[in-house]
Amino acid sequence: MAANPVRMPKLGLTMEEGRVVHWPHAPGARVEKGALLVVIETEKAEAEIEATTAGFLRRIYVPEGETVPCGALLAALTDAADEAFDADAFAAQHGAGVATGEGAGAPGGSAPARAGSASSRAGGGAKPRGAAVPGAPAAPAARALARELGIDVAEVPGTGPGGRVTRQDVEAFAAARSEASLAAGAERVVVAPGVALECLRAGSGDPVLLLPGFGVDVSAFAPQAADLAERHAVIGLAPRGVGGSSAPALPRYDVAQAAADALAALDALGVSAPVHVVGASLGAAVALELALAQPKRVRSLSLLTPFARPTPRLAAFADAWARVAAEASADTLARALAPWLFSDALLADDERRERTLRGLAPMLARTPAPALARTTAGLRAWPGVTARTLASLRLPVLVLVAEDDLVAPGGDAIAQAVPGATLVRVAGAGHAVAAEAPEAVTAALRAHFARA
Amino acid sequence: MAGRKLSTGQAINEALQIAMQSDPDVIVLGEDVAGGGRRDGEDVDEMGGVLGTTKGLVKAFGPERVRDTPISEMALIGAAVGAAATGLRPVAELMFIDFLGVCLDPLLNQAAKLRYMFGGKARVPLTVRTVTGAGMQAAAQHSQSLYWMTAGIPGLKTVIPSNPADAKGLLLAAIRDDDPVIFCEPKGILNLVDEVPEGDYEVPLGRAKIVRAGSDLSLVGMGATVRIALAAAEQLAKQGVEAEVLDLRSLAPLDEEAILATLEKTGHLVVIDESTPRCSIASDVAALCVDRGFDFLNAPVKRVTAPHAPVPFSHPLEQAYMPSVPRVLEAVRELGIG
Repeated sequence: MAANPVRMPKLGLTMEEGRVVHWPHAPGARVEKGALLVVIETEKAEAEIEATTAGFLRRIYVPEGETVPCGALLAALTDAADEAFDADAFAAQHGAGVATGEGAGAPGGSAPARAGSASSRAGGGAKPRGAAVPGAPAAPAARALARELGIDVAEVPGTGPGGRVTRQDVEAFAAARSEASLAAGAERVVVAPGVALECLRAGSGDPVLLLPGFGVDVSAFAPQAADLAERHAVIGLAPRGVGGSSAPALPRYDVAQAAADALAALDALGVSAPVHVVGASLGAAVALELALAQPKRVRSLSLLTPFARPTPRLAAFADAWARVAAEASADTLARALAPWLFSDALLADDERRERTLRGLAPMLARTPAPALARTTAGLRAWPGVTARTLASLRLPVLVLVAEDDLVAPGGDAIAQAVPGATLVRVAGAGHAVAAEAPEAVTAALRAHFARA
Repeated sequence: MAGRKLSTGQAINEALQIAMQSDPDVIVLGEDVAGGGRRDGEDVDEMGGVLGTTKGLVKAFGPERVRDTPISEMALIGAAVGAAATGLRPVAELMFIDFLGVCLDPLLNQAAKLRYMFGGKARVPLTVRTVTGAGMQAAAQHSQSLYWMTAGIPGLKTVIPSNPADAKGLLLAAIRDDDPVIFCEPKGILNLVDEVPEGDYEVPLGRAKIVRAGSDLSLVGMGATVRIALAAAEQLAKQGVEAEVLDLRSLAPLDEEAILATLEKTGHLVVIDESTPRCSIASDVAALCVDRGFDFLNAPVKRVTAPHAPVPFSHPLEQAYMPSVPRVLEAVRELGIG
């Protein structure tokens, strides 16, 4: 089952836009291959555009009378009349399109294009900046820096002689992209020379630090953040590689380094009072390292769907996540992750599932594949925490496990190992428990903070 | 230090005096190094070498230790190699490095190889002082900078000071080194006058020196080109480009770490070498940068050298032949900075 875009064709070298004159079929109708699909008008003449594949006209995006540029999305055809189809997501994915020599040729027919490098999808489809010239020479230092930062050097406009891309050009490109990709309302907090993390703050009161999991940003905690901000100063930190945070250095992003980054962020924000630290999944591993390193700075520890060490399945999951991100669209990645992250209940509910995936995809797009790969390497290298180490924790610890968690099912053992820990089980939720069961998570956190 | 100033020639003379005073095995030999002085006990004012560098030595140390030789580089260098191998510490003068061809075999196949081929049982603590470079209208056969040839011979060391203080220290280190060392005296600095510390001190062989710190560009020079690099750096500073200047001092062994460090710092490197370009120190430095400093390169490596031609006799042509500040600035422009 597939959905195919219909685009405004470019019917000549000088054609720049066209007007939709007439849609002979109503939405939902079946169109045969070769049948008249749409009548358009250019400066010169009217043209009858035929369907190059058969399909059902599921959605018309440009009504009669409107003028759009060549390459713009006009409609969507699906193979089946009733297959699941999200018109908005489809439009977002196929976007306005850019008229190129070949790309905006015949309408319809072609399958949705595979996305290019993850870096160009960051921040909701940002296009390459400036005027990068394909095939322009790049200095070795520029290439080396681009590699480190996970940037495709071909996207960087060069200002050196002959259009050469210099190291400075790569630095400027990375900085501009970070700025552009910063989440609304976020700031950048410097945690090390040349390294800054995207940080969202809300509310006032005792500080709460939110550490999201692998490959996601702080919006994974959106419901909790909003609620807790009523009584706390909530600080949400995106780790290196995510959103507007600096890229992780080669070769890998260690869990201990992420913990050090979080502590440095607290320093930079002037937060000296002990903090309620909340971590989900990999963020929980970071939270554990942070608490073990600097217990005095932690007022309470909340570990959502945590793991004590990277199991083979967990490592393989992260590795697959990084690979799919490198080769496929964010939508496809979200779909691939869905069975791992969510409960049966959510997956069975079509409407809920599709809505969740729609929200998940743009968040996933904010972490480029090279950053995921380095974080995966750091995860694999994490030695984990032993029962003995956990037993040494003298902090109020909440362990929240999800009963349908396929990724990190062994959380109970952590609760057993920590003296005085509170264990909360959430039924009917998968690994992404904060997204699936937001109220239960919020309630558990509030209760835990109150106890601490 | 008190700011005592000497010319390079005088600094070299002082080094020889100190070396000969501190070690009775140090002898000096060459064409006219004594120059007709102190014969048969007469107190004759000696020439002290064609440029006066060894003046006063025969008076101070006698004709047995300061010897005029026949005009035969093969004989004098051969004798020096033999003397070194049998226990003396000779400082032989090869008047101009252009004459290397006449005495290459004792240096190449004897001095450079004896220690190796005798499994360490032989030592050749020889120093060969030799004048290099252009700038005095000495024409094609007396103006070459052939240090690239000796630097390429395993078993020989080659050093080249850029100023009087380093000339003294490098020569003392060279004389005391137990291996054969070619000590180059660039014409371009022989009359340069600058502060020279008193007393006995050595500049280590194989160590380059940052003579000007900067962060935008690395200018690598040797001998007479270091001053050109410094002058170019001053010009560049007016445009807001801060150049770092590295004085190689030693050509063999080459301070590779220093070269890579300055490249890593600035990402841009220009090497300025008086010699002709093929198989030059400049090319050696450039190859090093590309091989081991590849990811530091923000631009190509530029070599400013003489052209692949003999040194002209005509003054304006000779000036155009030699590396100069405008040529360095042009190379820097080609890098896209300055």
